Amino acid sequence: TTDKLYGVHPNLISKYVPSKSGLWKCLDGSKAIPWKFVNDDSCDCPDGSDEPGTSACSNSTFYCWNEGHVGAIIPSSRVRDGLCEPQCCDGSDELPGVCPNVCKELGESYRKKLAEDRKLQKTGSKIRSTYIAFAHKERKRLEGVVETLSQEIDVKEKEVERLRDIAERTESISQTALEHKQKSPLYQSLITHHNALKSLQREHKKHLEREKALGNILDALRTGYNPNYQDMAVLEAVRGWEELAGLSHIGATEEVKEGEIEEKVEAVEATEDLEPGTWTAEQLNDELDALLEADHVSLLLEHEEHIQSPAEGSILYDLTLYLPDSILPHYESFKDTLASWLHTLGIIRGDLDSAAADSSRAHQALTDAETELDRVKNERTTAEGDIAEIFNIHGFGADGEWKKLDGTCLEKEVGDYTYEVCLFNEAKQKPNHGGQTFSLGKYDSWNPSPDVKPGEPEYYRKQVYKHGARCWNGPERSVVLLLTCGIENAILTVEELEKCEYQLTGTTPALCLPLDGGKENSREEL
Amino acid sequence: FKAHDFKTCSQAGFCRRGRALSSRAKEAKSSWKSPYSLDAFSINIASDQSTFTAGVKSSLYPEINFGLELRIHDDGVVRVRMDEVGGLRKRYDEAASWALIAEPTISRDIKWTTGKRDIRAVYGSKKDIEVIVAFEPLRISLSRNGKEQIVLNGQGLLHMEHFRNKATPTEEAAPKEGEIAEGEAQVVMKADNPRAWFEGDKEDDWWEESFSSWTDSKPKGPESLSLDINFPNHGTVYGIPQHATRLALPTTAGDSPTFTDPYRLYNADVFEYLASSPVSLYGSIPLMHAHSVDSTVAIFDAVASETWIDVSHSSEKSTETHWISESGILDLFLLPGPTPEDVFRQYAKLTGSAVLPAQWSLGYHQCRWNYISSDDVRTVQKRFDEEDMPVDVFWLDIEYSADHKYFIWNDKTFPDPVDMVNDVAAIGRKMVVIVDPHLKRTSDYPVYKEASELGVLVKTKDGEGEYEGWCWSGSSSWIDFFNPQAWDWWKRIFKPYTVEGGWSWTQSTNAVHIWNDMNEPSVFNGPEITMPKDNVHYGGWEHRDIHNINGMLYSNLTSQAVSARSDPPMRPFVLTRAFYAGSQRFGAMWTGDNLGTWEHMAVGVKMVLANSIAGMSFSGSDVGGFFGNPETEMLVRWYQVGAFAPFFRAHAHIDTKRREPFLLDQPYKGMIRDILRLRYSLLPVWYTAFRETSVTGLPVLRPHYVVFPKDKNGFDIDDQYFIGSSGLLVKPVTEKGQTEANVYLPEDEVYYDYFTHHAYRGAAKGKTITVPAALHQIPLFVRGGSIVPTRERPRRSSTLMKNDPFTLRVALSKAGTARGELYLDDGESYSHQQGQFIWREFVAEKEGTKKSKALKISSRDLAAEKPNDAVDGVALKSFNPSNEYAKSIAHVRLEKIVLVGLGSKPSSVKVEGGEELVWEYTPGVSASEKKEGTPSLLTIKDPRVLVTKDWAIVVQ
Repeated sequence: TTDKLYGVHPNLISKYVPSKSGLWKCLDGSKAIPWKFVNDDSCDCPDGSDEPGTSACSNSTFYCWNEGHVGAIIPSSRVRDGLCEPQCCDGSDELPGVCPNVCKELGESYRKKLAEDRKLQKTGSKIRSTYIAFAHKERKRLEGVVETLSQEIDVKEKEVERLRDIAERTESISQTALEHKQKSPLYQSLITHHNALKSLQREHKKHLEREKALGNILDALRTGYNPNYQDMAVLEAVRGWEELAGLSHIGATEEVKEGEIEEKVEAVEATEDLEPGTWTAEQLNDELDALLEADHVSLLLEHEEHIQSPAEGSILYDLTLYLPDSILPHYESFKDTLASWLHTLGIIRGDLDSAAADSSRAHQALTDAETELDRVKNERTTAEGDIAEIFNIHGFGADGEWKKLDGTCLEKEVGDYTYEVCLFNEAKQKPNHGGQTFSLGKYDSWNPSPDVKPGEPEYYRKQVYKHGARCWNGPERSVVLLLTCGIENAILTVEELEKCEYQLTGTTPALCLPLDGGKENSREEL
Repeated sequence: FKAHDFKTCSQAGFCRRGRALSSRAKEAKSSWKSPYSLDAFSINIASDQSTFTAGVKSSLYPEINFGLELRIHDDGVVRVRMDEVGGLRKRYDEAASWALIAEPTISRDIKWTTGKRDIRAVYGSKKDIEVIVAFEPLRISLSRNGKEQIVLNGQGLLHMEHFRNKATPTEEAAPKEGEIAEGEAQVVMKADNPRAWFEGDKEDDWWEESFSSWTDSKPKGPESLSLDINFPNHGTVYGIPQHATRLALPTTAGDSPTFTDPYRLYNADVFEYLASSPVSLYGSIPLMHAHSVDSTVAIFDAVASETWIDVSHSSEKSTETHWISESGILDLFLLPGPTPEDVFRQYAKLTGSAVLPAQWSLGYHQCRWNYISSDDVRTVQKRFDEEDMPVDVFWLDIEYSADHKYFIWNDKTFPDPVDMVNDVAAIGRKMVVIVDPHLKRTSDYPVYKEASELGVLVKTKDGEGEYEGWCWSGSSSWIDFFNPQAWDWWKRIFKPYTVEGGWSWTQSTNAVHIWNDMNEPSVFNGPEITMPKDNVHYGGWEHRDIHNINGMLYSNLTSQAVSARSDPPMRPFVLTRAFYAGSQRFGAMWTGDNLGTWEHMAVGVKMVLANSIAGMSFSGSDVGGFFGNPETEMLVRWYQVGAFAPFFRAHAHIDTKRREPFLLDQPYKGMIRDILRLRYSLLPVWYTAFRETSVTGLPVLRPHYVVFPKDKNGFDIDDQYFIGSSGLLVKPVTEKGQTEANVYLPEDEVYYDYFTHHAYRGAAKGKTITVPAALHQIPLFVRGGSIVPTRERPRRSSTLMKNDPFTLRVALSKAGTARGELYLDDGESYSHQQGQFIWREFVAEKEGTKKSKALKISSRDLAAEKPNDAVDGVALKSFNPSNEYAKSIAHVRLEKIVLVGLGSKPSSVKVEGGEELVWEYTPGVSASEKKEGTPSLLTIKDPRVLVTKDWAIVVQ
């Protein structure tokens, strides 16, 4: 018979005492059984608590003391199954004589390992503290940047105000005249052409993108398909694409030489004959945008200037350029009066036209200044965002320990590929012997599991990269990066556990938390 | 499903000709007369009377001679053989020699009587069977008590196309280049062709045949065989697996048939096959049961070439079938029954019974295409153990191998294969590794190199060079296992140690077993994804002649090789995808690449039943579906289906998400763990059922018509079934969103819910009950009158259960009795053939003293009672109850008895001659009442009686 306390967890020993009448209550209180039924290798309690030392109850656990090492809890399914559980180094999970007691050796190596781990953690945490220092420095630097930008913004805001003032005033004169000119059939036709061209460009771009996407899919298919698979349709698609794109035939032993693809494509295009005056694809690409950005109102006015004699009236506007800021408001009010006089006296011809031109230029100046202001403001917002991110538990951690690694790229060569992860940026698969590099995904989040709270150490042990290049008959590639404390930033293993889903493991000092003195002592006691 | 990859009957010349013959006969109605007749003067009865031979002629070709031979075996089976005699060439006649376990014993009690119109013999213990061979037209029938059971050529569709020479097209102008194929295939005969009424007026695909981009050179010309086989008194037919359809075969001919094409038997790798179709799949067993309330008979057609079978019913009570084969002799076995048990015994006597598998192979198998590295395997094992989910086998699909050179590990991902296998074996588990029959054609692959040097590869149509086709490994060649030279070589390849004289698989251990896939054979760039029919095998036979046997030979030789690698030999586990009659002797099969859909889950159950009744008891379908990502509910239901299939394996395509049970969220993870544990607790039932199958040929899974052959309501039932003789009845739920299930109870008996013990009552005419079937519930019942032995302690693998005690569920019948069996041996070696096992019978019966009513539950030694019936193929003269194996489990006891349906609270429960036991009684419905509901339960705690010993427990 088995000792009644056999397999009982130390915390529960006090509960394994029979009542005066020789009964014993199951730990869940559901039933009272004779004390002799405890550990009699026959299950009586619904919660399994009457059989701590046998395998009779499927829902119970067994405690092995492991003197010289640390105690362990194993499921009852492993008690007396003929195997020596590594967790029970004292061999108590099996009948006496079956398993040797190896707790002394195990305990020793365990303690040694603990010490090594602590040492590693200690070194790592030192590196980590330099990361934190970096984050603080970075914050300071960014705060400086924000400061500078804020000053710049103040200046620029004033400038915008001034220009807006000018633009508004010039505009009020010119509006009517401009509207009149804009009714010109030539202008109307130009706008229609413009719109049509813009629409064409939009559609063209869509098609180009689509073609590129299709090309990418087919390239991926061509390099990524397994020629051994049964699908002859895939094989035909690959052959067809190779022919269309002028690519060489990929065989099991051949490798595509880089550059070869482009050369072929160029060769195909060079043979095209262009009508005189029509644009090449390259021109379409480079010059169309500029054409579409043309300011038609300005053109309309320039056009007026072309078909009429130059308007002297514009001198009025030009004059402003030479006047000091302080006089400007006075000048502007004066200019209006002056202009109307001159017009009434017939001294200025086509004054409305030139006023419109003034308006257009003033507007342009305002727009430029506003754009510049927006740019600087954006810069500041980014810098402010960066500051907020540094010490954010969702971003670079409460201590900012990850900021240092932002954009740090780690590589690991496995088989025919080198895997690269640029932290917080993008993961890639680069072939070692030529071929296409695939994006495995862009940084998406820390551990997304609902069981893990942001800010907990566990949260930072997992990074997810998503929306990489799509597999030809599978999902978009993605990466899960599992990290542990280590003194180096490194990728250790790469596995594609299921199609196009990569699991990488690695180490980083950013995860090496400083050792807690109190905890250190308690560990040594084990 | 890519329909254009596979032929319909109309795209196969001989099938088209066969069906045309049938429709001409139908049109001609009563004026149709078979041209074949038996020459009475040529009858030659053997001196021992059992056999006769005779000449057969066709009135169409009087110069051609056919020979007919009839033999009657000692168990009443009639073998009918017909071949062309003295023809231009020889028809393939070796199919039976691969299918049969031995030359059958001829009966000694036959007397043939020759009359004017027929020759006949009456036999059987009651002289109730009569075989009549009518002379003109030739018609062969088997009758019982004057009722015709099986009739051959009753419709006059017998046609053995004799070998002939191709007519030289002298009269017509030579066809131009490019027109040859068309011209030759469709030579129009002279209009006054006197044979057109029978053969048609065209040489329809006689000499060459094209399908898609392939051309079959057909050097032997037309040689097909057509035969009608009628069952005038049987309205239901089963068998001829493998097809994705119902167990009771739907019609393919006659009025509004279910399918428009005949059932096809031509082993094929069908991508994403349909869940309801007569198209051929991976395996072929030309065995058909014909069933009625009066009797069950069967026919086994030992043909290995492509065969099409039409099924129709001219009335509700009769069945007509038409068998059209491309080549080979007629070699047909008529199995007279008359009960399903008889038919199973007769078929097992011919082709062998399912081998008793290694016990661990009845556990749970975890597979995926692919576990990608040895560390991946270790991690998966670790996760199973962390969740305390039992599993016995981890599988590796093709990606373990370097460039798909099977046996050769990819050393980047599997750098330490032997250590990996040892890590798995440390928990009492095994690994199964795939080895396919195509060999990568590269000189750095020793297996290919040696096969090529030995000359044991399949040859091209000229019979010279190695046939080259495309499969996983790219350019490949195929081992020709018809060549005996390949046999010893293949055995050597599997030795896990260095062998002089050649390569062997040293990077392997005895814990590695084998999966033979793609052995139809699958050839990616071949016609119908297989080999060209004009390829040449050993002995000069064309691939067309042996196609359906090819896969069986491969798994046969592999299982021999795996068994022989150790000394003493151990039971091998070999899974095969292709199979034929006899494959049951070599291992397990599965239903191939199914889809993760509810339809495939449901038809998988029917396919496994169809395989079971055709001998292949050790079968199952991929849990979860091979293709696709099953939703969680579907996955849980599929584990329930799998847990009640003899072969229980989860598998998944490489493009699918991982779906190992430990990856699921609660409560589904817990549900699947419970299902796995249920399977393991019932392993004693499965193993005991397999022993019975291995001896009697009765299937492990038994559809209703097998257990209740006289219950007409059950003939079409193929979604619930019994497990062996255990009395367990299961109805797996295979539809989405179910919370209830309808279960048919075929008899006036009590059936208990396995889990709650709730008592349901059937009726003499059959009754359908509705039972709860929420996702965590499996409709599983214990038939009243059964004793079910289980092992209830969860362990990580089956081998770790060896010392665990048993629980007995005693489910009383309405008569208040019950019985059950338990068979145990070491589960791995062949020592059971030397008497190293125990075979017990548990009986609960009323004790006959007048003074006190008592129920006695006792354990008896069945092995000592029937030593001869214990082990398949072994005549044990005596049985030693204290054999070494029995001694090794001498301490194994009963830990609990649950007695269900007792009439009243007992006054005492004692081991006979012992003290009062500890027991608990909850009152409830008694088995002998008519009531339904919670039955009375008597739970006996730990009676401490030993499983190897005789004992009795008396409930007073």
